[in-house]
Amino acid sequence: MSSLQKYIIDQRESKPILLMTHVVYGYPTVADSLQLMASLLEQGVEFLEVQFPFSDPVADGPAITAACHAAVENKPELAQYLVDMAKLKTAYPDSRILMMSYLNPLYRFGLDRVVCLARGVISGFIIPDLPLEMGQQFADECINADIAPIWLATPDTDEERLKVVGKAAYGMLYCVSRRGVTGQHTDQLNDLSSYLQRVKAHVDVPLGVGFGIQSPQDVADLTGQADIAILGSALLNAFNQGGIPAVQQLVASLR
Amino acid sequence: MSHEGRFGQYGGSYIPEILHNSQQQLIAAYRSAMADETFVAELEWQLQHFSGRPTPLTFCPNLSKTLGGAQIYLKREDLNHSGAHKMTNVIGQGLLTKRMGKKRIIAETGAGQHGVASALIAARLGLECTVYMGAHDIERQYPNVFWMKQLGATVVSVESGSRTLRDALDEAMRDWAQNYQDTHYLIGTACGCEPYPEMVAGFQSVIGNEVKKQAAEQFGALPDKIYACVGGGSNACGIFLPFLDTDTELVGVEAGGIGDAPGEHAKRFHVADSKPGIAQGFASLFLQDDQGQLMETQSISAGLDYVSVSPILADLEAQGKVRMTSARDDEVLQAFRTLASNEGIIPALESSHAVAGALREAAALDPSQKIVINISGRGDKDIFNIAKAVKDTQFNEFLAGYLERETQA
Repeated sequence: MSSLQKYIIDQRESKPILLMTHVVYGYPTVADSLQLMASLLEQGVEFLEVQFPFSDPVADGPAITAACHAAVENKPELAQYLVDMAKLKTAYPDSRILMMSYLNPLYRFGLDRVVCLARGVISGFIIPDLPLEMGQQFADECINADIAPIWLATPDTDEERLKVVGKAAYGMLYCVSRRGVTGQHTDQLNDLSSYLQRVKAHVDVPLGVGFGIQSPQDVADLTGQADIAILGSALLNAFNQGGIPAVQQLVASLR
Repeated sequence: MSHEGRFGQYGGSYIPEILHNSQQQLIAAYRSAMADETFVAELEWQLQHFSGRPTPLTFCPNLSKTLGGAQIYLKREDLNHSGAHKMTNVIGQGLLTKRMGKKRIIAETGAGQHGVASALIAARLGLECTVYMGAHDIERQYPNVFWMKQLGATVVSVESGSRTLRDALDEAMRDWAQNYQDTHYLIGTACGCEPYPEMVAGFQSVIGNEVKKQAAEQFGALPDKIYACVGGGSNACGIFLPFLDTDTELVGVEAGGIGDAPGEHAKRFHVADSKPGIAQGFASLFLQDDQGQLMETQSISAGLDYVSVSPILADLEAQGKVRMTSARDDEVLQAFRTLASNEGIIPALESSHAVAGALREAAALDPSQKIVINISGRGDKDIFNIAKAVKDTQFNEFLAGYLERETQA
């Protein structure tokens, strides 16, 4: 069993649901984003999902896209990102850091080099434009380094595809709650139950649910159905409105 | 034909999981359609009766004589309905949309030619149409926006990022991820995930197949060289692919913009800032910085102003089967003038790049040699940019007078 999966199982023994909070590295500045990350870890979120910004984030909605474009202006560097994540990991050993990015910045840097430098720091990679079929070699390298390549499922993933995803799933599975991109609210969290049941029939790793999770009610609805509630755009919107205090307030209200 | 949409080290399918089913459906539908005689016959009928194919291969007696080198022929894609080769691809994908039972198409557009072509086919086939266009391109090409609206299409101004073609493409991908159940993403160039490069290049290959036949009829041989401008690469793929592995030399001409510094051009070949990358659904050469962020581009022609290039062309260039060169804005305008004044043909600024590349080399060739330039589109749409470039003051007076009358009315 992967370290990531073991961590989730251990944490879930005492907690009905875990939190994954998303931050864009370099937004509004690198220093500000690191401060936000530290405050979230201080608050005890189990997972910090840190997006290394890319100029063309096709799976993200307007809020995260705008943050990525602003962050790219600051010319963030992947090598420094990994150094910064290592420091956070040392300072907050009880939480786990997941790296999210699109393929090109990682590819430019060198996929083996990323895996090598991320070992012991990053617990998993989330790369929305890397489909299973194209990522086999990368996934193998990750698993050798005890880093989980985190694959995605969606409500329209059919049984046949779920079998393939289930076989590849490692550490955890990221269940997208609905069609579209990040940031729009999900009205049909009720329909989630049958979707997640379908997923569980084929997948034996813990499930995280993201896209449109915004409120304590959303998190309450997920409790008992999934292991991890993933918040991205909602935190970013809170940050844009009221800075770190607003984010802390939102996170404190979630469970 | 390619394996998993790969062309050498390029191509592939790098799309979010949410689009998996929709992409698989498209691949299957495309393969079954092309194997279906009824579909192919319908496609040919529409190409002829809606778009006016085959387009002529026009000899240029004056230009050939003036330069004293190769005999120059033009492939007249400008005579397609909508004024550009873009029509050919949208007819193919429009019919495929109907075949898949989808009722809506979305498209990205740079110069607006693909947007207009998409709006035209949507109106003809009874499909809803939404076109994504960068806000910066809308400023440069409003007349095309006007026509899209008249045709009933919804034009969405994309305000994010560099506000040009690649941002429009990102936004169209987001729409597709939301609406794939009833929507086909009608990509206008030979880029994107499988099967788009192969499919768009396949529909456009009618251009090269016609040239083969017309060359045989007119001069009894294959052309010695073919020149085509290269933005995303659809007109170049279309005219080049049928000539692969023949003795015809295939020459692509990229947008040299105003200089070689980053952000001053849209050259993806022979420049240090262009490296293999993976974005927007496919692997190819991308203009990018050392952190893998995609860069800004510049060209006098919005249609060539793209950060990447068809994986098919990236691979053919790597194999030495296509030669890539470029032309800067000033040389392009000169070529535009030369063709218009010598032969009475107004090429698009995009196509004028191909003209520039050919004129540069034609004089040194033997008069027995024949070259073909792909005039991918007509230049009427460029009236504002060209009037500005040639400093036609009367055009500004006309616009001022028009505005004054309209404001008073």
